[in-house]
Amino acid sequence: MFSDRHPRRFLDAQVLSRLVGMPLFARRPMQGSVSGRHASPHRGASVEFAEYRKYVPGDDLRRLDWRAYGRSDRFYVKEFEADTNLRCCLVVDTSGSMGFGSQGVTKIDYARRIAGTLGYLASQQGDAVGLACVAGGILRNLPPRRNAPHLRLVLDLLEEIEPKGETQLAPALHELAETIRQRALVIILSDLFIEPALLNECFQHLRFRRHDVAVFHLLDPLELDFNFRRPMRFLDMEGGPSIFAEPNDIGDRYTKALHQYLDQLRGFVLESAIDYQRISLDQSYEQVLIRFLVSRAQSKGLR
Amino acid sequence: MSFLQPWLLAGLPLVALPIIIHLVNQRRFQTIQWAAMMFLLAARRMARGYSRLRQWLIMLFRTLAIAGLVFAVSRPLASGWLGLAAGGRADTTIILLDRSPSMQERGSGTGESKLETGRKQLAQTLQTIGSDRWVLVESAMNEPYELDSAAALLNLPAAGPASAAADLPAMLRAAHDYIRRNRPGRTEIWICSDLRANDWDAESGRWATLREAFLELPQGARIHLLAYPQAATSNIAVRVTDVRRQATSDGAELLVSLSLSREGDSEEKISLPVQFDIEGARSVVNVELVGSKTELKNHQIPIERSRERGWGRVSIPADANPADDDFYFVFDNPPPRRTIVVAEDAQAQRPLQLAADVAPDPAFQCSAEVVTEDQLSSVEWDQIALLLWQAPLPTGADAELVQSFVDRGGVVAFFPPRNPGDEELFGVQWQTWVTGNEHVAVETWRSDEDMLSRTLSGAALPVGQLEIGGHCGMKGEFTPLATLRGGGPLLARVPTKRGGVYFWATTPAPADSTLATSGVVLYAFVQRALAAGSAVLGKARQLDAGEPDGDIPTPWNAVTEGDQGLSTEASFHRGVYTAGDRLLAVNRPAAEDGASVVADARVAELFHDLNFARVDDAAGNLRSLIQEIWRIFLATMLIALVLEAVLCLPKAARAAGATS
Repeated sequence: MFSDRHPRRFLDAQVLSRLVGMPLFARRPMQGSVSGRHASPHRGASVEFAEYRKYVPGDDLRRLDWRAYGRSDRFYVKEFEADTNLRCCLVVDTSGSMGFGSQGVTKIDYARRIAGTLGYLASQQGDAVGLACVAGGILRNLPPRRNAPHLRLVLDLLEEIEPKGETQLAPALHELAETIRQRALVIILSDLFIEPALLNECFQHLRFRRHDVAVFHLLDPLELDFNFRRPMRFLDMEGGPSIFAEPNDIGDRYTKALHQYLDQLRGFVLESAIDYQRISLDQSYEQVLIRFLVSRAQSKGLR
Repeated sequence: MSFLQPWLLAGLPLVALPIIIHLVNQRRFQTIQWAAMMFLLAARRMARGYSRLRQWLIMLFRTLAIAGLVFAVSRPLASGWLGLAAGGRADTTIILLDRSPSMQERGSGTGESKLETGRKQLAQTLQTIGSDRWVLVESAMNEPYELDSAAALLNLPAAGPASAAADLPAMLRAAHDYIRRNRPGRTEIWICSDLRANDWDAESGRWATLREAFLELPQGARIHLLAYPQAATSNIAVRVTDVRRQATSDGAELLVSLSLSREGDSEEKISLPVQFDIEGARSVVNVELVGSKTELKNHQIPIERSRERGWGRVSIPADANPADDDFYFVFDNPPPRRTIVVAEDAQAQRPLQLAADVAPDPAFQCSAEVVTEDQLSSVEWDQIALLLWQAPLPTGADAELVQSFVDRGGVVAFFPPRNPGDEELFGVQWQTWVTGNEHVAVETWRSDEDMLSRTLSGAALPVGQLEIGGHCGMKGEFTPLATLRGGGPLLARVPTKRGGVYFWATTPAPADSTLATSGVVLYAFVQRALAAGSAVLGKARQLDAGEPDGDIPTPWNAVTEGDQGLSTEASFHRGVYTAGDRLLAVNRPAAEDGASVVADARVAELFHDLNFARVDDAAGNLRSLIQEIWRIFLATMLIALVLEAVLCLPKAARAAGATS
């Protein structure tokens, strides 16, 4: 598929080949445009029985269940679940803070890998893939399409994005919640450095719009451990004021603030039924994706 | 606070080390691009109260630990001696020890005297401070001699109690002479005294000279005063004022007069048992003491008829100061009171001779011999008590004779010659006669002391009734005892070390005055002068401690001794001694019974401009003047280190696995 293009540095063909056999399922009924492997809110022609319904004039007589008529002397129509494809919207945070990485890989690199891989997987199973880059607002937005050229556009855009500017994730998510058509899979890749309460509002908004929301919370090990030894001057990657701090002095309180934030966030994602994945950048993205896909396969069928 | 190793305080700037390290550490910061600023900002908002204080506390405890270490190794002393040993160990330490009887006063609730406490404190303090050489100047001898160590003060007999008064200016002079002679390096002078006015003689001109002398010392000297100014609230001193032996119809008796004086504010009437001990025979009489002073006159104590010579002791129950609770006396047949009269005017000579010839008591043998100036060399001066001189002042060999007579303790009374010349003796010169038609009256006279004082019965001498027809002026340095109207002296005394020298401005001649016709004043004067002059002639002598008589042969053998002292210092310790054929009673000087203390401001004035420090102590004080308190600083350092460690302890391990 990349024969006419240079290889994407954020896509590993071996990883893709290992993951291609693992389907990406939606946890909620999706509203696609064509038949696919995801559950639909509508009745259709799949092999999975849904319900009996009383016959009303105009129904196709071929759908009458004659055995039911024989048992009850009433006309019933047998209905089946519909299968559809999904619209996968990848939302990548491209604010300045995503440029941080202490392990040789930055958050934006990590986000590229996950987003690229997931986009490819979704495209392979016939789902539509879109990409929204957000920072101070929605910088770029590719609506979901299910054709191969569109995937190339998505991957091109992923390749182009640069971490820059301040984070205005909440307004961007609200806007996306409104603009993306209902019942889509929205995958957010960000460090989520905003107030959990603001995030919670976004999650509630997306849930209200019946989107299946998955969040990859990208954090660097240094941000989690804060194991500095010498006095440090911290320069804000998003242009804010710098802070001079003695790690021995401020370390405890930093950890306390981080844990408060994470605990609060955990509460909100549970409340909003968000598929939340906290990722440390030293983790293998392949393992992260396997865990993600397997967990979604287990929770498939919730309607 | 002072330090034994003050040079180690130079390490004090090390206390800035934690601060410097902190600052250097801050300068060595790293810069990092950081994403999770929201947590740093939150952490800074949380850095309030204890969290912020903690860093300062850690810094403080580190600083304290270093300061504690530096102070501890500097060997700090807790004391009131400001600036003590500021320059390190002294080269020479001179100790001036006041051993006077008043220093034997005990503090309330303790059996330790001021002297004992002072010696202990000095020994302990000086031993701690250390010195290369120790020199003691004690108040009896006023001579510096070297000690092996400060601790020797505790056992040295020469540092024990004595009955002699102290002479602080003389002691300081001895210390100054020692410094000038030996040229030591850094010198410290430690004075231990109770600041009694009679010992310090604060009004003496010697102090100004001393101060100048110390200021001129090139190496300087630091003077420390360990003062015991607190007087006992109640202390009674006994003193025998007169002892006479007289024959009675059935034997003999002693007539003992004594005075009891009380220190303190108490006016309570008390009955005091006074014990008389006449060579072992004891008797007690109760004396009522009212106010500050009571006198007992002529208390009769029967003795054997054959006992013409002996000694005795008067004592009262022990009180705050045991040194003034007893008094020794000796008695003997009074020596003949012989007078030499040299007079150019027969009218003056006769009254003088009569006044000297008639004994006031049958017990005394009085005789007066009239001699001319040419016969002076043939007079047996060692048996003469009084010289009455009404002639031009002697010169040459005669003057020397008179001078040596006075130096031996004799008394001379000069009356003006008819034609005064320009001769001068004892610093006094006769001026011209002043005569007039009217008699000049006596305006004032000293009735409290000396020759014109009140009689034993308390009656004043009729000096005011004297009429002076003519008087001769005098020039020189003298103390007027009576002055005429108009300010001229009638009777003056020339200060001498021993004996007595008096100058009358008129003669007993009827034309000059009514001294002869109203003979009471002249007679009292002559007899008192005779008594004073004969006091040095008797075989039994009352002596003030510390005032040895050159005429008295040595050695002295103690008959009974009050203070325990060296035999060579016998004259400084109260008691009864025999020296050759003489019987001597040595007692504290009368001035020692006065409780007045030199005022603090005056003491400060005496040492003005000198390197001087003072601390007041109390008898029986158990606390040392100085204490090494390095342990406190070491403990402070350890506590600071422990607290610093506690504050630096990492909090409970940060929640592991923040990643899920």
